[in-house]
Amino acid sequence: MACDNCSCSKVYNENIFMPKEAVIVRAEMATASEKHFTLKWADDSPNYFEPGQFVEASLYGFGEIPIGYASSPTRTKTFDLIIRAVGRVSNALHKLEKGDTMLLRGPLGKGFPLDKLRGHNILVVAGGIGLCPTRSLIQYIIDRRQEFKSFNLFYGARSPDDQLFLDDLASWRKAEDVNYHETVDRGSDNWKGNVGVITTLFQKTEIPNDTRVIICGPPIMYKFVLMEIDKIGIPHENVYVDLERRMKCGVGKCGHCQINDKYVCTDGPVFQYSQIEKLEEAF
Amino acid sequence: MNAFFIKEADFTQFLGNMIGARKVIGPKARKNRFVFDQIRKPEDLRLDYDVTILPPKKVFFPPRQELIRFHGQKGSSCIQPESTVLFGVHFYDIKAIDMTDHLFRENNMDFNYLAQRECTTLIGSNVQNIFKRAFFGSVGKGVAPKGHDGFTTKISGGYLYEVYTAKGKDLLAYGTFIEATEEQINEAREVNDSVMDKCPEKINHDSLEISEKVRSKFNSPVWEEFAHDCFSCGSCNLVCPTCYCFDVQDNWNVDQVTGSRDRTWDGCLLEDFSSCSLTGGSKENFRETRGSRYRHRIMRKTSYLTAKLGGPACVGCGRCSSSCTADIADPVNVINRLMEE
Repeated sequence: MACDNCSCSKVYNENIFMPKEAVIVRAEMATASEKHFTLKWADDSPNYFEPGQFVEASLYGFGEIPIGYASSPTRTKTFDLIIRAVGRVSNALHKLEKGDTMLLRGPLGKGFPLDKLRGHNILVVAGGIGLCPTRSLIQYIIDRRQEFKSFNLFYGARSPDDQLFLDDLASWRKAEDVNYHETVDRGSDNWKGNVGVITTLFQKTEIPNDTRVIICGPPIMYKFVLMEIDKIGIPHENVYVDLERRMKCGVGKCGHCQINDKYVCTDGPVFQYSQIEKLEEAF
Repeated sequence: MNAFFIKEADFTQFLGNMIGARKVIGPKARKNRFVFDQIRKPEDLRLDYDVTILPPKKVFFPPRQELIRFHGQKGSSCIQPESTVLFGVHFYDIKAIDMTDHLFRENNMDFNYLAQRECTTLIGSNVQNIFKRAFFGSVGKGVAPKGHDGFTTKISGGYLYEVYTAKGKDLLAYGTFIEATEEQINEAREVNDSVMDKCPEKINHDSLEISEKVRSKFNSPVWEEFAHDCFSCGSCNLVCPTCYCFDVQDNWNVDQVTGSRDRTWDGCLLEDFSSCSLTGGSKENFRETRGSRYRHRIMRKTSYLTAKLGGPACVGCGRCSSSCTADIADPVNVINRLMEE
């Protein structure tokens, strides 16, 4: 809209808060509390984003929440978002089904630095719902497997029932070019795999010290995984952490996601560990 | 620079003409304090104000602002700037506006702020009375006020009006201005310089030195000590001319069909500012303690934004000091204390 009564005739159509419509092509409960949505842009605009970036997902009348892309941009037709029902917005989004429209703003933020990962050994450490944003990178690596050297993937869930992407897990267990290791904090009668916190997986496999490491999980997990990284002797500039904060506006203004002087939504959510390890509020 | 003079006797007529032609917002008395509000009569404009309760940022960044209006799940942008003259802004608030201009412009241009900013003619005025908690003379001395279109200074017999931009020049049409003399320009400079060392409070160190030293004091017990009496009310944030954090919430109209996505002022001193919802109704609060929130505000003012802004994100207006119930918010006290440690 134009300025109503001054000599300038400038029109202000651009609004960084304006979401776009995306159509849900598939919606399924992934666990008791997480719903897996597969979407495409309603205007058929290209599906361009970097693994690790996020969107602000919303419905008018309820509000917006930040959700990381859970699929790789190499899969161009659709993209995935996993939404855990925890509050007002996520519970409203959970009511959406196939054919419904979700409002999205994005892609936002800085994703995984693919240029710095290509040609190297990779270790992804994903805890709980941290598997969702890292799945965007995991799929990317699998789709372009020849661009990377060894690929170790650690996944820890609270219990077997909390595991996400069961089809993916089944294929990663079998895949020859993915060294997949998993654990659960609490086992169950049918669970025959590892039981214990995610750091126990470091004892099960050799990680070379020239590996590029990606970590994403609950806040408590980082400290302990980073201790393991130090034991192996991986330089901190080769470690990337995907951080979670209250990213309300997603465009570096509203202030909620600040870690000292950084805005997680625009400086991150993926950070090179060496650049934030001195920030007292990071971990 | 273009400098003009208008006689005291002609100033009222100038204001009357300007108010008749344009929407004018300026300092106005409200009980025993002052506020920025629309000026409808020349005599309402109080250029002798010391400080206003809220800073003029509210003209571009109102306490509650609609970002999107929606009907069902269809939304429309509602950026509707209105041509405005913001008149009588003290230099410290001009510095603050220049900072928020930068912050709303960087990375992602936010026209919800910038549109109204661009449609506003910003005119400064000299400080005629100094607020009892002001310390503008000793903070960010290297940062000159900029981004304004003109500046008025009360001098002998009338006002000097300095014009910096075409928007500032436009206002000349409303009054009887004559070219200012060299003496009048010099007098205005002296008037503006003279208030700088009259502030009742003073920060004792240079901004760059403060920026580094305060940053290094992250783990000092001083933060908890000062924050011990904090009510986490966020008043210090709300009255600050450089605070620009906000919340975004959707609000339905009574029809439950239409509504708006709004932003409202928020503050890092409020308890849940950094908290995230987790499963099972639990929360992770990344700044859990009062001390950590208190420290964040001071760090934002002294250190975190200095590289971006070229100086501290504090202009010494003294509003936070006077609005704090427990009187712990005053940056002068905590900064001087940390610098002496």
